[in-house]
Amino acid sequence: MKLASLFAAALACALAAGCRTTAGTSVVMNHESGGSVIYEGNTRLHNNVAVTAVTYDKVPAGLNRVNIQLTSLVQRELHLQYRIAWFNAEGMEIDGDGRTYRPLILQGLDAVTVTGVANHPSAVTSRLRLREARAADRRR
Amino acid sequence: MKTVLFPVAGAVLLMAAGCATAPHVYESELDRAPMSSRIEPQDDRRTVEKMAESLISDAGVLEATGGKRPVLDIEPMKNRSQMIVDMKSITDSVRTRLIRSRLFRFVDRSTAGADIAIMDEQAQLGLTDRRKAIRPGQQSAAEMYLTGSLTDMVTHAGRATDHYYKFTMILKDLRSGEIVWTDEKEIRKVAIRPVF
Repeated sequence: MKLASLFAAALACALAAGCRTTAGTSVVMNHESGGSVIYEGNTRLHNNVAVTAVTYDKVPAGLNRVNIQLTSLVQRELHLQYRIAWFNAEGMEIDGDGRTYRPLILQGLDAVTVTGVANHPSAVTSRLRLREARAADRRR
Repeated sequence: MKTVLFPVAGAVLLMAAGCATAPHVYESELDRAPMSSRIEPQDDRRTVEKMAESLISDAGVLEATGGKRPVLDIEPMKNRSQMIVDMKSITDSVRTRLIRSRLFRFVDRSTAGADIAIMDEQAQLGLTDRRKAIRPGQQSAAEMYLTGSLTDMVTHAGRATDHYYKFTMILKDLRSGEIVWTDEKEIRKVAIRPVF
C-alpha cells in the first residue's frame, strides 16, 4: 500500500513538472484604432492577474507608448515576467530579439502599471505577453 | 541465468559510460531565470532596454537640440562595483538601440585613428579618384555624450547573500555642460546557500 502511494505521488510530481506551461496572458493593442484584445492561455494566471486598463499616447519624439495596468486577484505575492513587443503595419515584429522579459513582482491585490515605448517609428501595434516567472526556469 | 545477466550488465555499463562523456548542451532562452546573484546577460539586456526607452521618451533631449536628431558620442561607463563587467558592451548596446530608433545619430571617437588612416591612404596611395577622396575636417561634431556607472552593495546575513546593483546613465550636453537626461536601473538578487 505504501509503495503504491509513493509511486502515485512520484507520478503526480512528474506529471506536474511536465505540464508546466510557458503560455501566459497576451494583450494585443492597436495604436491606430485604439482597441485592445486580451488572450488568456494559462488558467492559473487568468485566476491570479487581470488586465484592468490600457492607455495609449506618444512620446515627444513621436513614437507610440502604451501603459497597461495589471491587477493581482490574489492575496499572495506573484512573481511574473512581461515583455512588450512592437509590430509594423504589416503585422511583422520589429527587432524582436531586442525585447526582453522584465521581472514583475506583484504584491497581494496590488495593481501595477507597466509601460512600453515603440522601438521604431513604424511600430503601430504592440503586444504585452505576461507569464509566470517559473516559466523561465524550464530546463531540458 | 548468469549468461543472461552478464550481457545485460555490460549493456548498462556501456550506456552509462556513453552518457557520462558528452555534456548536455541546449539552446537557452536569452531571458532565462537567474543562475547566480551576479550580473547576468538578462540583467544587461533589461538595463539596455530600460535606458534606451527612457532616453527615447524624454522631452529634455529634444528640447536641448531644438527638435533635431542630436549627434551623440559615448564615454565608456565606469565600473565601481566589485564585479568584472564589460561596461563598454552595455553602452554599445544602448547605442545600437538608439541608432535603430532613427532618433539619434552617433559619432565614434574610438575609431578616429582608423578614419585618419583610411583618409591618408585615399589621399596618398593614388588608388582613389582625387575628387571622390574624403578629406579630413568634415565629420560631424558630437553635441552630447552618454556615460554612466555601475555600483553595487553586498549584504551577508546567515546563509543569505543580498546583492544590490545600480546602473546610472547620464547624457551631458557638451556646449552647456548640463546633464540633459539621467536614469537608473536597480537590480536586487538574493542567494541562499544550501544547508548541505
